[in-house]
Parts: sequence; C-alpha cells; structure tokens
Amino acid sequence: MKPPKLDELDEEIRGHIALSIQERIARGEDPEAARLAAIKEFGNVLLTRESIERVWRPRWLDGVEALGRDIRFALRSLMRAKGLTGTVVLTLALGIGANAAIFSVVRSVLLRPLVNRDPDRLIYIRQTAYGIGTDNYKFSMPEIRDLEANARTIRAFGDFSTVDLRLIGFGRGPRMVTAGVVNGSFFDVMGLRPALGRLLNNGDDGPKAPPVAVFTHPFWRSVLHGDSSVVGKTIRLGPGLVTVVGVLEPSVPYPAETQVIANVVTSPHHLSAMMQLQRWHRMTDLFGRLAPGATLEEARAELTAAHAAMMRAHSEDYAAQAHVGLQVTRLSDQLASPARNILLLLLAAAAVVFIIACSNVANLILGRSVRREAELAVRAALGAGQGALRRTLLAESLVLCTAGAALGLALAWPLATVAGRYAARFSVRALDARVDASVLWLGVGLALVASVLLAFVPRLPSADRKGGPGLAVGGLRMTPGTRRRLGIFATTQIACSFVLLAGAGMLLATLNALQTANTGYDMRQVLAIDVPPPADGVSGEAMLDFFREATRQIGQLPGVEGVASGLIVPWRDRNDGLKMHFDFEGYQPATGEEVPVCRMRPVSPGFFGVLGVPILAGRDFADTDTARVAMISQSLAQRMFPNGDAIDRHLSFARDKQPRRIVGVVADVDDEDVVQEPMLTVYLPMLQVGYATRLFVRAAGDPHALVPTVTRTIRKVSADQAIERPATLEDVRAQVLTPQRLNAFVFSAFGGIALLIAIVGVAGVLAFSVSARTREFGVRLAVGATPAQILTQVLREGFIIVAIGISAGALCGFGLARVASSYLGALSTPGVLPAAVAAALLIAAALVASIVPAARASRVDVLQALRSE
Amino acid sequence: MTKTPEDRRLELLQGTLDMLILRTLQWGPQHGHGIGQAIRQQSDELLKVETGSLYPALHRLVKRGWLKAEWGTSEANQRAKYYRLTAAGRAQLLRERDRWEQLVRAIGLVMNPAPGEESRG
Repeated sequence: MKPPKLDELDEEIRGHIALSIQERIARGEDPEAARLAAIKEFGNVLLTRESIERVWRPRWLDGVEALGRDIRFALRSLMRAKGLTGTVVLTLALGIGANAAIFSVVRSVLLRPLVNRDPDRLIYIRQTAYGIGTDNYKFSMPEIRDLEANARTIRAFGDFSTVDLRLIGFGRGPRMVTAGVVNGSFFDVMGLRPALGRLLNNGDDGPKAPPVAVFTHPFWRSVLHGDSSVVGKTIRLGPGLVTVVGVLEPSVPYPAETQVIANVVTSPHHLSAMMQLQRWHRMTDLFGRLAPGATLEEARAELTAAHAAMMRAHSEDYAAQAHVGLQVTRLSDQLASPARNILLLLLAAAAVVFIIACSNVANLILGRSVRREAELAVRAALGAGQGALRRTLLAESLVLCTAGAALGLALAWPLATVAGRYAARFSVRALDARVDASVLWLGVGLALVASVLLAFVPRLPSADRKGGPGLAVGGLRMTPGTRRRLGIFATTQIACSFVLLAGAGMLLATLNALQTANTGYDMRQVLAIDVPPPADGVSGEAMLDFFREATRQIGQLPGVEGVASGLIVPWRDRNDGLKMHFDFEGYQPATGEEVPVCRMRPVSPGFFGVLGVPILAGRDFADTDTARVAMISQSLAQRMFPNGDAIDRHLSFARDKQPRRIVGVVADVDDEDVVQEPMLTVYLPMLQVGYATRLFVRAAGDPHALVPTVTRTIRKVSADQAIERPATLEDVRAQVLTPQRLNAFVFSAFGGIALLIAIVGVAGVLAFSVSARTREFGVRLAVGATPAQILTQVLREGFIIVAIGISAGALCGFGLARVASSYLGALSTPGVLPAAVAAALLIAAALVASIVPAARASRVDVLQALRSE
Repeated sequence: MTKTPEDRRLELLQGTLDMLILRTLQWGPQHGHGIGQAIRQQSDELLKVETGSLYPALHRLVKRGWLKAEWGTSEANQRAKYYRLTAAGRAQLLRERDRWEQLVRAIGLVMNPAPGEESRG
C-alpha cells in the first residue's frame, strides 16, 4: 500500500471544498458566502493534511522520531550534568581508545595477510641448535644443497644472507649498508614484485653473472628520495661496480632489514671456498615455496627426514650437545609468533581497561537513573510504556557512548602509532599499524554494546510491581538491589585495577633490577664505535695495521685515557657464531655432564682496562705476545680448574687442538644478556685471531665530546673508513632495555588509567550511597551518634569495597596467570612486593576517594534531614 | 434560548467512526464529502464528523485494506476521490457491528436493570 503524494492530498481536500460549495449553491446560498462557509466548515487544512500524513508514516519512523526527541532531551539534560557527562565520556574514551589502538596493532601483525603472492604456500625453514642456546643456527651452503637435493614438496628454494658492504654512489660519501645476498629464485619464492625496474631472477645466479642489485623500498624512499632514475645506474658496492636493476615493492623485511639486495657475485665472501664448501660456515636463511599439491605437513616431514639423513652423513659437524634441529613454518606464522604473546597480553590489558571503564560508567549511570526514578515514575504514570522508558534511557546512553567512542577513536590515532612502534620490537609488521575503517567499526560496535548494556542496567518503575519506586517519595531512595549492583560494579573495578597494577608493578620491579644491576663494566666513560671492515679484501694484516695505527693515534688525543679494540659491543652486537667448544687441559666431563659451550671474544691488549673489567689473576694480553695465549672468565676458571690453578694451564679449540696458554683470569661480564649470568668466556688476542670491528675509547671527561676528534683521526688513518653508532655503554644498555622500559611504561599506563577510573568509581558509589541515606544519617545523629562515627562508617564501607575487590583481583590474577602461563609459556607471576604495593596504592586511593562523601555524611544537618521527606 | 442544531450535536464515541464509515459505504462508493453528509443526514443531524477526523480515518482504513480509493468525477463534474468497501472491509463491518450491539446491550442492561434489581442493590 503506497502512501498518497502530497499534491494528491491537496487535490482531495480541494475536491471536498468544491463539492461543499456546489451543495450550498444548490441549496440557494450566495456563491461568495457559500465559498467562505465551506472553507470555514472544513477547518484547519494544514492540520488535517498532517494527520493524514501521519496515518501513512511507518511505525518505526515514529520510533526513530521519538528516539530523536529523546536524544535531544538527553543532550539537554546531560549538558546540565556536566561533571557526570565528562567523567563518563572520558572513561569510555580511554576504554575504547586503548582497545582500538591495540586492536590496530594486533590486526596488522596477526590478521593482515602479507603482500607476498600466495603467502600460505611460502614457508620458512630454520635450523636450530637449542643445545648451544640459539634458535636460529642458520644454514651453510653445503647444508642447503643437501636439503635441496631430492626435495619433492618444495618447488623452489630461496636463500638469503647478509653482509655489510660499503656503498659509494649518487655523489655521496661512503656509507655502510647491510646487503642481502640472494640466489636467483629468491624473489620468485618470496612472491614479491618490483616497484620499479626488475628484481633478480635465475639469470643472475652463479659466479659468472654480471653483478646486479635492487634497492629496498624504505632505503630508496628515504635516502634516494624516491628518485626513479637510479634504475640502470652503476654504484660501487663493496669491492666492485654493481648495476642497479630495480626497486623492491614495500614488504616485510625478513629475516633482516637491508638497504640493497644483490646477487652472489657482488660479495667476494659468498664466492669464497669457506662459504661454498665449509659445512660449519652457517650464515644463510632459507625459504621455500610449496610444490603444487604439497602441504606444509608433507614438506615438514620430507625436510626433517632429509635433515636427519644429512646429520647422520656428516655427524662430525653436528655436536650431539648442540641439539641441532629443523623448523619448518609458514613465513606468516614465523613473523607473527614472537609478537603474539605480548600482543595478546596487551589485548587482555586493554579488555580489562574496557571492563573497568564499562563498570564505572554503569555505576555512574545507575546512580543517575536512581536520581531520575521520580521523573521516570511520573512518565510511567502519564502512560509511558516500558519500551518508551527504556528508549529514554537508551537515548541518554547512546549520546554518552557515541561521544565516548568519538573521543576514544581520536585518542586511538596517536595511541596506535605509539603501540605500533612498541610492538615493532617483536614483529616488523607492527610498523605499519594504522587506525582505519575496521577500527572505526570496532569503536562503533563497542559504543553500541556499551550503550545497550547501560540502558538495561537500571530498573524501571512499573505500575504492577510492589515496592517499586513511586511518586509518593520525593527524596532519593535506594533499594537494596541497586545498592548491591553498585557494589558489584565497584568491586569489579577494584579487582581489575588490582590485576593491572600488580602486573605493572612486577614489570617496574624487573626494569628497576635491570637498570641498577652491576654489569661489571665501567659504562659511563667508555665510548664504543663500530668500525666495520669494508668487505673488499681489506683483511688480515692490512686491517690489523689499521687498528694498530688508529689505536695509537687516538690514544694520543687529549682527553683519551685508553683505547682498545674488539669484536662485540656489549648487548648491541649479537654473534651466535662466536660460541664454541674448547678443550681444557686436565678437564674430563663427568658422565652425563654436558661439555659447556664457551663464548670466544677476540680483544686487543688494554681491552679490560678500558672497559673497567678487573683482571683477577695473571696478566693482560700484550703486543709482545707471540706464543698462543688466552684469558678466561672467572666462572670458567672455577669450573675447569677448581683448584685455582688456571694460570699457565692450556686450552685449545675443539676443532684445531692447538694449545693456548692461559695468561689471565678476568671478572665475569655478560655482553649478550641484560640479565647477567655466570659467564664462560675465552678471550683471545685480537692479533692472533686477526679480526676486529669495534673500537673502545675511554674518556677522561664526556665521552660524547670525543666523537668528532676520534672520527677525524680514524679518517686520517683510512679515508674511506665507515664510522658508525658511537655511543657509551650506558647508552647502549639504555637502548637494549627499551623493550623492558616500554613494557613497564605501557602496563603502568594501563594501571594508572585503571586506578584513576577505579577512584572515580569508588568515590561515585560512596557519594551516591551517602546522598541516598541522608535521612538515615540524620536519624542516627539525632539519637546520639557522633559525626566521627558516621565518618568512620562511610570510610569503612569504602574500605570493604576495596578489600573485597583486591581479594577477588588477587584470586583472578593468580588464576589468570596460571591459565596464561599454560598458553604463553614462561610467565613470571608478580612477586609479593609489587602486589602489596598495588594493594596499598588502591586502599590509599579508595580512602582518599571516600573522604569527601564521608565528610558530607558526617555534616548532615539533622533537622533538615528529618524534615526532608 | 432556542436550541440550534449545533447544540444538539453528540460527540462521537471513540472507535465508532470507522464503523460508521464502513456502514455508509455499504451502499456503494462515495467521496469524503459525501460520506460526511451521509452520516449527518442518517443521524438526523445529531452526528457531525469533522474533516480533521474523517480524512485520517479514511486513509487509515485504506491502509488496513478495508477500503479502496480511486479517483472519479461527481455528478456535478467535480473530480473527487471515491472510497469503496473491499471484501475485507465488509467482514470488518460485520465484526464491528457485532461488537457494537453487544456494547449497547451491556450498557442498556446496566442503565435499565430489570425491575426489582435496583431495590436489591
């Protein structure tokens, strides 16, 4: 049935009047008088037309219109309650904003597909050696050839290794870049496309191919300013000239972030016999694309079998204690897995904040609706049905939640950037976390859920319910049910806040322990500088000469107390390849005892003095050492030579068996882990190992002030030398502790938000409970209670809410930690101290929140209270 | 003061207008003005239907499917919308008539109790 059009209605009305006139004229009336009378008789044309229109209007439109009226009313009445509105909107904004931000990051890391073509068929193959503490042992070329042979489930393999090369071109000075060196099928396996030019293909493979390279997108954008004329140009990369053939599309940099990706001929190291033939020379990551019809499980089974056969065939290269194994995963899973735990934890924290926010808002709304009960009762008495009353409440919560969501999404923008940068430490994919439409929908969804829930929290006045709120009572009355609900919401908030605060406390305690731990280094005065060797044949004697000369000249600079060189800047450089097996004179492992793996560190004479590591016995290396010598760490000395006679005993590489005399024992220092453990370290003289890349300068004053003169001095020795990342050990440690600091910061922020909301919640509940019981307090004061008694009673109420909340929180937190640790692996539960601090903080906050309402209760004017009803 | 017809007029009982319209249209299609006139004449000038109630009622009945509206021309050649009873409308008329008769009987019983009843109360 179609409603008639407007002009049709007009015509019908005109027809009616015309008929009326005709009739009157027929009765003998004067035409003019008849016209006037007919119009008069018809009455109000507009009104009639409007009531006809209303007949045709669909019923839901009436509902919408009524809701619109309710919303306008809600806006007006909320404007009057600015404090409440502000609190509710802000609380919701924090809850929704935190969720939206974390969700953006979770989505970009865990849910969004990779740009790689057919990412489900792209697998990542990794060799592990948990026995020597490395989850990425990498592959050597002979190993890759063994795995590739006869692999039926893998259509093609792509291999990738990195090498630091010097890049000269585009009219700039030399700069060190990390180059990915790949085989010809790498890009085909990865399923990546060029943004410009072409990528490398099978024609670029092998030692005879012309040297070519592609730039990665970030490097091309930021350093080359997106200049498309770079394609086809020739650059000097490492030892030779290389043609740039293209630019790679933006993609996840894995396994390492690089600036260029080049074919094998560009790197002399990759062509060397060591790289090609030595089974223990592992520096390559391996990818594969599943053959048509093959599944991941089949590939895993086949590769694992091939790997096991290879280890049997070359058992001399796989020490049993190393526990070498093989992992075959989808690349997408590999990328997401390290971030998954931390993200799920963050998501849980954000959800807890949302629960707290919702309970708090529910409390405030409940309190408000009790205040509105009289108004609602009047409406009900005037004929408003349950639906209409709910609609009134829904309108108000819609207004509040929409405002909250809008503000929350505005907050989500900067929060997502911060959270993305934070999560990028665990997965490179988090870097492009953005707030977008789907997050917008999440916000809208959360707001709608919240508003519907909130609209159904308060009880409605109803005619047929006994004891319901009525018109008779003018003042504020609170039913036991309402009070119970308020109490439950407040307790929930406290419990959730406690969990968050205790978690944050734990992280802060960990961070504090790490920051104040004694590292064994003199961190403040030592400047560490990367002096990477240009991989263009300058090695052996030439490189050692450079270091000798640079050390000598820098040592003469004013303000320099000492210079040394080494291979590892503590905490900044990771080098799993420097973990080896040694034989020690007179040491036989007891049955069942694992032969320990030691760190090997080449250092120059003076290294320990410069870094402030005390030599406990014997002497330092000297330039005059010509015989093979070594120094060992204290823990290693105690373990291998328990009688304290390490000096002048001998050790040797398990591989070459050449004895080296131990000349000194130094204190334990851990240059890898931020949490120090007993260190088994063998130090060898740099001159005998023949390799160094790091300079350490001990300054008398501010180490940073030395950077320009040191740089100039190094350039004087070797003009083309790249000089990078000068920093004090203190800076380095601060840098490596960033994830911990961020963890602590993020969770403290969550905890802080939770605490704030909880304070508002407790204060709100008590304030409401006090104002609802004015009469009761009046009576008590009248019959002789002192204001102090009333005050303590209200404070006690606040304390009880908090006590129950904390107990519930402790129970939940303990249970959650149990559940979480079964899913997430090792999770340290908060110690007693952080939990106690969190509890104390909450109690203190709750007492502060209770003081205002308690003081008001104790100041109740007896006469007024008794007369008020 | 003499009583004018205006003064004698009765207020329509709520809910009875629909029934009166349906009843009026039993004799054949009619336009709005005609329906109003018919009700007035049939009720001996006691009932007068305001256009502000008549037209919304007509449209409501059309919307429910009890009437059908179509444009036509009056005897005096005036274009007007004619309303016609549908089959559903006829059935509705019967139902409303039943209800009305029950109501009249019930009210009658209350207002004019059988002899003897009043004294018993």
